[in-house]
Amino acid sequence: MTSRPIILAALVSLFAPALLTSASAQTSQQAEPVVDRERGLAEWEKVHAVFAHPRCANCHVEDEHPRWSGPHYGETRVHAFNVQRGDDGSGFGNAGLRCSTCHFETNSQVLHGPPGAENWHLAPVEMVWFGKTSAEICAQIKDPERNGDRSLREVATHVRDDALVAWGWDPGPGREPAPGSAEETYQAILAWEASGAPCP
Amino acid sequence: MQLEVDGRQIDIQVDPQMPLLWALRDVAGILGPKFGCGIAACGACTVLIDGAPVRSCVLPVGDVTGRVTTIEGLARDGALHRVQQAWLDEQVAQCGYCQAGQIMTAVALLEEIPDPTDDDIDKAMAGNLCRCGTYPRIRAAIKRAAGNATGA
Repeated sequence: MTSRPIILAALVSLFAPALLTSASAQTSQQAEPVVDRERGLAEWEKVHAVFAHPRCANCHVEDEHPRWSGPHYGETRVHAFNVQRGDDGSGFGNAGLRCSTCHFETNSQVLHGPPGAENWHLAPVEMVWFGKTSAEICAQIKDPERNGDRSLREVATHVRDDALVAWGWDPGPGREPAPGSAEETYQAILAWEASGAPCP
Repeated sequence: MQLEVDGRQIDIQVDPQMPLLWALRDVAGILGPKFGCGIAACGACTVLIDGAPVRSCVLPVGDVTGRVTTIEGLARDGALHRVQQAWLDEQVAQCGYCQAGQIMTAVALLEEIPDPTDDDIDKAMAGNLCRCGTYPRIRAAIKRAAGNATGA
């Protein structure tokens, strides 16, 4: 009779997003995350595949320098032109050489031309994960001090709705897009949270 | 569409996706900004938009929303801009092709940091390439324009 709990868990996890949505409308009730480690880890893997992808990770760097990578670049390399986060820590570059000197609101359609999206800049220094392990990134995403003071639902919404994040799936000619889509990643984060948000 | 370039209103009827550099050079006849690489990788095409440097070879002209200043619009009433004068005083140029872009970036740097350090200069100017290798004289000219003539 071991199959019943498994079926029950599967059913609960299947409907967990709906349950959470329902619970969020009822301010008097808080839905407890349903711990389903196996499913949760499977959902996290989808999320990690996006976060660790060069289109996202190359600008979530710790050492002030964004990265370049892709079929035309060979191994990942430091962005040319001494481009840096900026002495003010803003992530928008330095005087005389802001990100916006070359990166505009749309992708250049010329191969090797600069990609573009609204508000182009490096991720804040506390939100760096370039080169980190899946477990490290996972723990970071759950930590409000390192995720922009967001709940996981807010992280999901940020991934779905932010124009600069959305660029990862539409990176312009010659660049491999991040896997899946913004909506699929949003759903994966919610499903991961509903499964207890386990980390590897 | 209407553009304000070097203090003049210019009517340009082109595809909005045309790079600003093409519109300036081929349509408006403003030849100061130069074509180098076409992918924002050399800086020869640098102009200012509302004082901020941009690579005009990759900016769609339809996305321009501010006042464009090219190398041709720096001088006022017959007097060179202090950065242009410093460039002459330090005899920076060799072949000269990249220098319009170099000067535009230097102008933007000095507007933001009036007395830049070597580190400030390195960070600002690294996207403007010079095949002749005039970098020491560029640095000297920026310092001269800031009021700190040191020689190359």
